[in-house]
Amino acid sequence: MLVYKSLAHPELVGTYVQPFTLDERLAHSQQAIKELGTTMPWLVDQMDNRLKHALGDRPNSEYVIDPLGKIVRKRAWSNPGEVRKDLEELVGKVKKTTLPEDLKLNVVPPLAQSAPKGDLAPIPRAGLFPIVIKPQLDKDGDLFYAKLRCEADPPLIDEGKGKLYLGFHLDPLHRAHWNKLQKPLRFELTAPEGVKLSATTGESPKSSSENDSAPREFLLDVNSWPADKTIQLTVAYDACTEDLCHSVKQTYVLSRQRDQDGGRAKSAGFRVLTLEQMTQRLLAGDKNGDGKLIKEELNSIQQSRFLDYDFNKDGVLEKDEIQTMAEQLTASAESKE
Amino acid sequence: MRITLFMAMTALLTMSPAAAWAQRNPKKEAEFLITRPVVGDPLPELTVYTPEGKEFKTADLRGHYTVLTFGCLT
Repeated sequence: MLVYKSLAHPELVGTYVQPFTLDERLAHSQQAIKELGTTMPWLVDQMDNRLKHALGDRPNSEYVIDPLGKIVRKRAWSNPGEVRKDLEELVGKVKKTTLPEDLKLNVVPPLAQSAPKGDLAPIPRAGLFPIVIKPQLDKDGDLFYAKLRCEADPPLIDEGKGKLYLGFHLDPLHRAHWNKLQKPLRFELTAPEGVKLSATTGESPKSSSENDSAPREFLLDVNSWPADKTIQLTVAYDACTEDLCHSVKQTYVLSRQRDQDGGRAKSAGFRVLTLEQMTQRLLAGDKNGDGKLIKEELNSIQQSRFLDYDFNKDGVLEKDEIQTMAEQLTASAESKE
Repeated sequence: MRITLFMAMTALLTMSPAAAWAQRNPKKEAEFLITRPVVGDPLPELTVYTPEGKEFKTADLRGHYTVLTFGCLT
């Protein structure tokens, strides 16, 4: 049973961002089920990730629970091979072992944005960490078509002086894009006494594309932010869906505190493999060095995709098939254009 | 006895296998194993949801073996 919780790496596979509401998280879990083509049952953690916290707070941990509700195995990182052994020990061997290809998973790509990425250059975010933000949700209000991602460098989190990243990322769930005929996104920060910022307002540059989906990003210097003070951020933007543009105004409260459930975003230090590195990673398993891969030369997760790439069904991945696999794995890890 | 075996097929194709992770992070793995709840403890009783949004109590998992694996879209 998979327990769906906060995103470990926002923006890494597709352009998914942390959901703000339970409905959005449920939609994520349903999308994940669709993407993986799986029929296994899932659970969805509450928005405060309480089950994840109660079970050791790891992104991909695994537990085996016995019929009395007692934990009989645990590991920090899920391992399908080991869990199979666990169940053989606990329950007994099965007559027929289910192999990944027996599952016939109908894998589909992540949700794409409704417009191309455009030409606005992203702000580098290496070494930045997410901080706690509270969107002011209003059940009768507009959708959060664009969601704030707020990150800070360690000096700001620890001592109140450093870099503050504000990024407004379109949520692919809501199918909106920016349109250059509309007013650019603008934000305003309301800071209490004692907070000193390099800017308290900002307006995003315009993209030259008619429609685009690039995040609207800002990097501020914070000269002083006492840990017990919060900053209010109000943002106004026009999010355009298929038939109309929605003028939206939304508010957040920012705290100078690391968000332990925020995940590491792609450009904030989580490394995405290049095509060459992905190819090398796949070929690392090529034990006999013939430049081809048989299933046993791949790791268990890669093995589950073996048949998807063995186009001529000869049981061997040849050079062109390895190339296609590497291209698709790299593409799925990159933000969709 | 009904066995509930579900493979961890998350969108983790770009990540290293579990064994490699444990090897690279022996301290984290060791810390995790001694963090409560440990083997032998009961599964915490909490309410979560099904993907359709219905409440689900972890206590309702009793009666058969269950593998719980955490994951997400990314």
